[in-house]
Amino acid sequence: MNNERPEYLVPALIGGGVAGVLSGMPVLYCLCCLWIIAGAVLGTAILARNTSGPLTAGDGAISGALTGIVAAIVFTVLEMSPLGALNRNFVLRLAERWAQASGQSVPQLAQLRQLGAGTGRTLPALILGLFISAAIFAVLGILGGVIGVSLFGKKKPPAGPPPQGSTNATV
Amino acid sequence: MSNGTPLASRPGGRRAIIRVYAFTIAGTLGWLAAIFLAPYLQSRAAGRAAAVLYALFAPVCHQIPGRSFFFRGFPLAVCGRCLGIYAGFLGGLALYPFLRGFSRLALPPTRLFLALSLPIGIDGAGEGLRLWSTPIGLRFATGIVWGLLLPFFFVTGVSELLIWRRAGGPARVASPLEHGNGKNVE
Repeated sequence: MNNERPEYLVPALIGGGVAGVLSGMPVLYCLCCLWIIAGAVLGTAILARNTSGPLTAGDGAISGALTGIVAAIVFTVLEMSPLGALNRNFVLRLAERWAQASGQSVPQLAQLRQLGAGTGRTLPALILGLFISAAIFAVLGILGGVIGVSLFGKKKPPAGPPPQGSTNATV
Repeated sequence: MSNGTPLASRPGGRRAIIRVYAFTIAGTLGWLAAIFLAPYLQSRAAGRAAAVLYALFAPVCHQIPGRSFFFRGFPLAVCGRCLGIYAGFLGGLALYPFLRGFSRLALPPTRLFLALSLPIGIDGAGEGLRLWSTPIGLRFATGIVWGLLLPFFFVTGVSELLIWRRAGGPARVASPLEHGNGKNVE
């Protein structure tokens, strides 16, 4: 029986780093949660390449959760940088344009203007935001990690009788 | 879809799956409720509370009003596509007991996942390349289609993790003998 335990950290750092950076980029920011899922899929793909045996759904869940947490940290750091201000101004411009065209009220506008002016973010708010982001991104990451196992985690069984009862579906 | 793993038929395995399923349903309903609660609170002049909820969803959605449905005169906390994904996720959870049950764990076939990802992928790529601008209803629909399959990944992965924890670790190459070693996971 292959008891090799996968090394989750490095793939999570790579996948989470990519997801966090892409989530924090202007314009690309619009794909939001899908970047986290994609980052977790990437992390699991790297994990599968670095692991000799097949991965299970549980491996994907662990890898994905770690990826989500890393992505949240990277995203929060970027949010505090000038890139974060670019993102908020981009969304603010779109929201203002839409509000003018439609004549409807947009409740986020005031908050976006406050954030754009740098007056809406305190350290406790940032820390709280980090924890909340980490929780949400971890859940999205679990999803992406398990999807990644489905896409990349299946491997040919070793020589001998094939294993039975694996959770990986056969296609 | 494939046959289930003996992992789910271990003592406590079924209970673990049901527990994960129940928590996932509760979480999803709460998440969807919060999406609608934000504009509701805004309509009731509870601006600060509404702002907290809008901020909660800000990391996972651009919240551009022109791409969002409205409730009581204010935009939902997420865009139409995200709402579709979450609504589809809830729909998939509703289907889960009938299509999968709680006695086996199996990931959906890769081909099915790729097929259901096509609509949202094509729509997203087309918009990203500025080939077209999709109406909110179609964004919502493509989100639902993709979201329907996601619970089958999520519940499987988390359930397996929970069963591992109870069993004291994963069995990397599964066989009926290894899973049927009499280990009590209650």
